[in-house]
Amino acid sequence: MSNPLCNEAAAIEHEAVAQLIPWYVNETLNDRERARVERHISGCPACRNDLALEKRIYQGVSAASAVEYMPTASLNRLREKLDGKPVADAQEAVAALMPRHRRLRHWRGVTAASIAVMAAAIGLLAADRWLQDRGRRAAPQFYTVTIDGARSPDEVVRAVFSPNITLVELQSLLDEAQLRIISGPSEAGVYSLAAKSNLPVSKSLALLRQHAAVRFAEGTNAAAAHRGAP
Amino acid sequence: MNSLPKNTPKESDRELLIAVASGNRRALEALYLAYHRRLARFLSRFTPAYENVEEIINDTFMVVWRSAKDFRNASQVSTWIIGIAYRTALKSLRRQKNHASNANLDNYPEQTFDPTSAAEMHDWLKHGLNRLPTEQRLTLELAYHMGHSLEEIAVITECPVGTVKARMFHAREKLRQYLPGLGGST
Repeated sequence: MSNPLCNEAAAIEHEAVAQLIPWYVNETLNDRERARVERHISGCPACRNDLALEKRIYQGVSAASAVEYMPTASLNRLREKLDGKPVADAQEAVAALMPRHRRLRHWRGVTAASIAVMAAAIGLLAADRWLQDRGRRAAPQFYTVTIDGARSPDEVVRAVFSPNITLVELQSLLDEAQLRIISGPSEAGVYSLAAKSNLPVSKSLALLRQHAAVRFAEGTNAAAAHRGAP
Repeated sequence: MNSLPKNTPKESDRELLIAVASGNRRALEALYLAYHRRLARFLSRFTPAYENVEEIINDTFMVVWRSAKDFRNASQVSTWIIGIAYRTALKSLRRQKNHASNANLDNYPEQTFDPTSAAEMHDWLKHGLNRLPTEQRLTLELAYHMGHSLEEIAVITECPVGTVKARMFHAREKLRQYLPGLGGST
């Protein structure tokens, strides 16, 4: 007959380890806790099943989002907020200064203008979609760092950066190399870069290549045409 | 202060925050750019509208701007900023839930999935996560999407470690109930 005290201790240990499994899966436990989990799991089929399930959930949740947000527009709105002059408030303030009949006319005008802007935007979106579809039919469905054609006439350099580089470091590096991002990163992590000044592309490339965070940097066909290119 | 630090991310975050505390807007913008992608990816998992994501991020950095001088060296700058974003998101998500998300949650039928492919697993997770109470989901996402430790989540959420464990436990239980085929429970 088994010792009930031992059973109770084993049950307590089982509960404690079960609660640590998520952090065992995301690899943030310290050495002592990790060893504790591994010791228990080696003799507990229920926790082994639990671990297998948790790994699947972890993989599903941790999968990187395909959507990339560019921060510039958001940062501009933060600047407005910090300056205390949000765009919407400014419009309301202008309206408040007008007499009532002019205010009504103003809002009617604003409404009409909004509808016109929305209609124009829908038209532009439709045209853009049509152009994209046409482009997709004409161009290859993939893009690599070595593909011949440039994605933009301004593109002079394609580069891949270390995933550890911060946006601030990236911006600082690009400022130094006198380059700006015109698109990217692609699924392969490729950025398309355009020249910001008359600095020769060869010098921009040299600056990029000597930086530890740059995995790949190459000039495009347009780079040869760019003034100062070798 | 004209020049911005170029040290390791942790060191530069701290130096930037010191500069922010002294009223340096450039330092705030540098911190914003350093954290925007990480926060946007995290927050977009809760709210598909980028306007909401942007609002939460910008509200977070308004708090960073006003409270940088109150930052204590006991925690990491990243944990502190994510903690502010967590609380801002929590408020925003509760507001959204009151307005619209309840209807969305009710739209999910009381059914279970048996995912055999990656796409089915993705669908199941998306529906399962949407059914979790906000605090439980945020805890799970902080651990699995952001990769935070138990102790870091306790700091971010301003809760005892035991509460974090309990939230994670209940989140996992609920996900399992939603998917008996995967979890092995009924």
